[in-house]
Amino acid sequence: MTVENILKDILCDILDIDLSDIEPETYLIRDLDAESIDLLELAVNINQQFNTSVNEDDLFLRKLRFYLEEAEERGIEKNSYLKNKYPFLPNDRIMEILDDIEKGPVLKMKDLIHYVTRQN
Amino acid sequence: MGLCLAQRMIEIGIYPMLTWRTETGFQRIQNRLEVCFKERFDTLLIDFSIPETLKTLSEKTANTLDYTVDFVQDNYESLIAGACDETVHDYFLHHVAFRAALLKKISRSMLARKKGRMIYVSSTAAIRQNPGQGFYAAAKQASETLYRNIGLELGDRGVTTVSLRPGYVDAGRGKAYFHLNKNEILKNKLLDVKHITDTILFLLSDSAEGFNASELVMDRGMTAGK
Repeated sequence: MTVENILKDILCDILDIDLSDIEPETYLIRDLDAESIDLLELAVNINQQFNTSVNEDDLFLRKLRFYLEEAEERGIEKNSYLKNKYPFLPNDRIMEILDDIEKGPVLKMKDLIHYVTRQN
Repeated sequence: MGLCLAQRMIEIGIYPMLTWRTETGFQRIQNRLEVCFKERFDTLLIDFSIPETLKTLSEKTANTLDYTVDFVQDNYESLIAGACDETVHDYFLHHVAFRAALLKKISRSMLARKKGRMIYVSSTAAIRQNPGQGFYAAAKQASETLYRNIGLELGDRGVTTVSLRPGYVDAGRGKAYFHLNKNEILKNKLLDVKHITDTILFLLSDSAEGFNASELVMDRGMTAGK
């Protein structure tokens, strides 16, 4: 089973949704209404299913806005600052996040896939 | 009290894992349970004052826990204005911060299985303390709050909590206090260990599943009036 399929199964179980509701481009919070308790359960399940430790701040991009403010305060280019903080995210995804951030929580299914794939 | 509870658990088919922090404590467990209940219980070194001992609770072991019953609390009596700063700091570090780390570990494994019941054995001192019990009571209240929030946060996912607040118990510190003070009023309020262990077993049972994220006072009405 691929990382993507395992993650989809976990999310379907937690959020009580169909597999067809989740694609790599799906937003966890904006589209699926995932709440903090859902994300906690997701982290716990990732931890168990993949037998890997999970940094929930990184996995769920929790400090994203804080990092952006920090980059601005320090006069550092945001793209490279985020790349340093989230090495599991590809460059094009970081660009996408920067374009998208004003519209709401940016966390997507594909971010989880990137994180878990890198951890393994 | 913990040993009595463990014995009752074994008798009804539960496999308890008892924690210990000194060789004396470990020997006490062995002496009480090893002969009659060999291989029907296990032990684990967990010392709230040594953070590293949290690692002895492996994920594999944590994943087997269906229930936890938490009795841990050192006594620390001091007037607030007369306390040693360092002792106070360590006391809260051990009893609140370490407990939070332990509860995090256990509750996550219970959450993964969507099943778990946690009982915290608190004290009526958490709400009505005597002079000198300020730190003890504050640590108890803080611990109750941790348990209450776990029940609040994870209750819908199958992990529930209850804190039990016994009054004076005819064992341990309660027994020592009673015999020191010889208070005839208190004499009628004393609970024996079996009262407590029976209540804990009830709280662990399916019949008690409606109790969650709450504190139950068990003191024969002692703290209800003036």
